[in-house]
Amino acid sequence: MNARYGMTIDVDRCNGCGACMVACAVENNVPPAHAGANDRNGLTWIRVYKVDNGQDYPDKRSAYIPVLCQQCGNDTPCVHVCPQQAVDVDPTTGVVGQMPERCLGCRYCMAACPYHARYFNWWDPAWPKGMEKTLNPDVAPRMRGVVEKCNFCHGRWHEARQRAAAMGIPETQPVDYVPACVEACPSGAIRFGDLNDGASEVARGAKEPNSFRLLEKLGTDPKIHYRSKRDWVREMGNAPRPAAGKENQRG
Amino acid sequence: MTTTRRDLFKFAGGAALGALLTPAPWRLITDTALWSENWPGIPRPARGEMRTKFTNCTLCPAGCAVQARCVGEQPVSLAGVAGHPLSHGALCAFGIAGHHLPYHPARLRSGAVQEAAAAVAQAMAGRGARGRVVVFDPRPGRTASWTYRRAMAAIPGGTYVRPAPALGGNAVNLAAARTVLSFGVPVMDGWGTPGNVMAAREGFRLIQVEAVESRTAAMADVWLPVRAGQERAMAAAMGGAPGTGIADEQVRQVAQELAENGPAVVLGLEDWPEIVALNRRCGAAGRTIVARRGTPVPEAWKKSAPETEWSAVEDGSVRVLLIDEAAAGDTVPWSAIQPKLARGALVVAFACTREGYARHANYTLPTAVYPEMVDDIPAAVDSPASVFRMSASLVAAPEGMVNPAEFVARLGGIDGGAALRERADAIHRTGRGSVFAAGQASRTAREMKPDEFRKALTEGACWIDEPDPKAKPPVLVAASAGYASSVALTEQRGAGLVSPLLSKLHEESRLRLARHEVALHPSSGFRDGERAALETGRGRIEVVVTLDSSVPPGVVQAAAGADVVDLCGGDADARVVRI
Repeated sequence: MNARYGMTIDVDRCNGCGACMVACAVENNVPPAHAGANDRNGLTWIRVYKVDNGQDYPDKRSAYIPVLCQQCGNDTPCVHVCPQQAVDVDPTTGVVGQMPERCLGCRYCMAACPYHARYFNWWDPAWPKGMEKTLNPDVAPRMRGVVEKCNFCHGRWHEARQRAAAMGIPETQPVDYVPACVEACPSGAIRFGDLNDGASEVARGAKEPNSFRLLEKLGTDPKIHYRSKRDWVREMGNAPRPAAGKENQRG
Repeated sequence: MTTTRRDLFKFAGGAALGALLTPAPWRLITDTALWSENWPGIPRPARGEMRTKFTNCTLCPAGCAVQARCVGEQPVSLAGVAGHPLSHGALCAFGIAGHHLPYHPARLRSGAVQEAAAAVAQAMAGRGARGRVVVFDPRPGRTASWTYRRAMAAIPGGTYVRPAPALGGNAVNLAAARTVLSFGVPVMDGWGTPGNVMAAREGFRLIQVEAVESRTAAMADVWLPVRAGQERAMAAAMGGAPGTGIADEQVRQVAQELAENGPAVVLGLEDWPEIVALNRRCGAAGRTIVARRGTPVPEAWKKSAPETEWSAVEDGSVRVLLIDEAAAGDTVPWSAIQPKLARGALVVAFACTREGYARHANYTLPTAVYPEMVDDIPAAVDSPASVFRMSASLVAAPEGMVNPAEFVARLGGIDGGAALRERADAIHRTGRGSVFAAGQASRTAREMKPDEFRKALTEGACWIDEPDPKAKPPVLVAASAGYASSVALTEQRGAGLVSPLLSKLHEESRLRLARHEVALHPSSGFRDGERAALETGRGRIEVVVTLDSSVPPGVVQAAAGADVVDLCGGDADARVVRI
C-alpha cells in the first residue's frame, strides 16, 4: 500500500523557538536573507507564526503555529494552476513535489495556495564567503525566479529509499525517515509518519479529539494535523487568516 | 519563378509560426531552465565521503550534545544526540546552525597579538604595588578558568573575576519539581538545557510572573502579568506586601499552590532575598535546589587564585584587564566594570567579534569559534550532577587565532598546554561517574582505561558524576549584583556570533526580535517599523520599533545585545524616543 506521509503538530508544546525553521534552511540549502528581504518576501519553507486570542494586554494569550506546505491530498490547488506541470503529487508518498527546473516563476501556485506556504526566490541564492562549504550535498540550491516550498525533506526521503532498496525492501513499501524540522524540534511538538499506517503515532494523533487542520472547510485534505487544548487556537485553524497581528497585512 | 523579398519574409514568418507548433522551443525553455540552475553564480555543494562526528555545543552554558554530519572533514549539518541523558536529543535554533560561525562575515580574523603582548608586559611591569591584573571569565568552571586562576596565583596582584553564580552555584533538579514559580526567568526559552527542560515539562506546573507575555509566559500553565518591574515586589507580596498589579486572591492562590503542590522551586532573575525566602519556605533546598559537587581537578590546581566578583574589586585598582569572551557566558554591564579600572588601564579582549567588551578594549585578539575551538563546558544550572564534556574541534581554526588560556598562562609562567588532559586524568582517577557516548551503552569511568576515557571525551562523550551520598541540602543565600535590566530582554546571548541563517527568525519572519529591534505596545504612538532611539542615562542606540500587544504599555522589550545590556543594565531608566 502507498504511504501517505503527514505530520501532527502539538501547538501547546511549541514555544516558537524557531529551531524547525533553521533546521529546514540548513537541510534544504535555503540561503540567508538578502539585504532586501523582509517577512513578506523571505524564504521560509516552514514558518512559525505567533497568533493570539484577539484580546489586548493583559488578557492577551498567544500561541505559536508552525505552518509549512500542508501537502493537500484533495484538489491540490497549486497542482491545478501550474501551467508548467512543475507541481505534482507523488502517489507513493502523498507528498506535493515542486520541480524548480520546470518552474517559470509565474507564481500562480502562490496565489492559489490558501496557506501562504509557497515562497518565491527573488534573489540569486548567496551565502557568505566560505559558508557554501556547509551546504547539504543531497539538495541542489535553486536559482532565482522560481517558487520553493516544503517537500517533507525529499533528500532525506531519497536517502532512506536508497537504504531500503539496499536492504531489499520493495519500492512500494513506505520508508522510515523524519524531516529536519521534526528531528530539530526540541519540545517534540512535531511528529511525522505514515497516516495510512493506523498504528503510527501520527495516524493516532490525527484522530485525537483536539486535533484540527488549517482551513479544513476548503476540503483540500491537508496532511498536517494540529492539536491544541485551547478552544481559541482550534477556532483559529478555520479562520481565513489569523485574527490579529501583522499577518493580516500579508497576501 | 522568381523569389521576391516578400517571399523570404513570408517563409521566415511561416517557419517561426510553425516552429511554435513543434516541441523545439518548449524544450529549449526547459533546457535553459536546467542550465540556469547550474550557472556559475549558484554554489554547488561539495561532495565526498559522509562521516558522523560528535561534539558538544559551546554557544551557551547548556552544552548540548551534537551530532555533526560531515562531508569529509567539513560539517554540513548539526543535530542533537538522541538518548543523551542531559540534552535529550535537542538542539536550539542557534546550535543547529553553529557550523556556519567560522564563515561569519563579522568574525574577527586578525589582531595585533605581538603588540598586545608587549603592551600587557609593559603595563604589568609598571603597575605598582597596588595595581591589579584581572582576568574576567564570563563562563567560569572550565579548564581554561582553572588555568586563569593558576596564572593569577602566580602573578602578584593577580585576580580572577567571574559573574555571580545563579542560585549560589547550586543546581535546579527540574525532574523533582511539581511546581515551578518563575519571576521573569525564561525557563522555556534559553534558561537551562532546552531538551532537559522540555523533558521535565510534563511533570511540573509552571507559574510565570512577568510583565511581558514572553515565550515562557505563553507556555506557562499560569501567567501572572505583573506590573513592569514589580517581580520582586510580587515575591514579597507572597509574604504579604501589596501593590503589584495582581489581585490579592491570586497571590494567595499561588502561595498556596507553592506550599501544597511540592516539591517546588522559585526562580528569579537574581537571588533576591524575597526569592530565597520563598525557596526556604517551600523547602526547595535539598529537593529541587541541590548542591552539586565540583568537577574534579588535579590536586596541584587547588592552590590557585580564588574566584571573586566585581563587587569585591576596589574601584580604580585594575591596571590590566583581560577578558575572555571566546566562550559566551553571563554579560556584566560595562558600567559595573569601568569604575574598577585605574586611570590608563590596559584592556585586552579575547573575542571573535567587536560587538561585546571589545568595544571598550585597547586590543582585541581574535579567537577560534565553535566548532573550531577545543574547550570544555561546565554543568548547566539544571544539571544536578557535575559533568565534564568537551567541544571537539570539527574544523581547523584559521591562522592567527589566539588561545586566551595559553596567552594568560604565559603571563603567569605556567604550562597550560596539557590542562584538558590533566583534568580528564584527574576525573578518571576518582573512579566516579559514568560516560555516555552516542550509540554506545553507558560505561562507568572505572571500567575504562585512562587513554580510553580521554579518547571518548575528545570524541564528544560526556562524563556524568554519580550522586554524592554525603550531600547535604545547600544553604540558600541571597545575592544580588543589581545587573537586572530595566527593559525586558530576550535572548540573553551576550556578544556571541549567530549564524547568518538566523535571518529566518528575524528579518524573514519577525518571529524573534532582531538585534537593535524593540517591541512596544501599539498604544505607544510609534509606527511598526519606525526608526527610533533607545535611550537611558548612559546613552542611546538607534533601534527599529515593532508593535506587539504582548508588551504592556510603558514597557520596552529588546533583544539583548551586549550594547543593549550596557545601556540598560542596572537601574537605568530606559525609554524609546523619536529621532
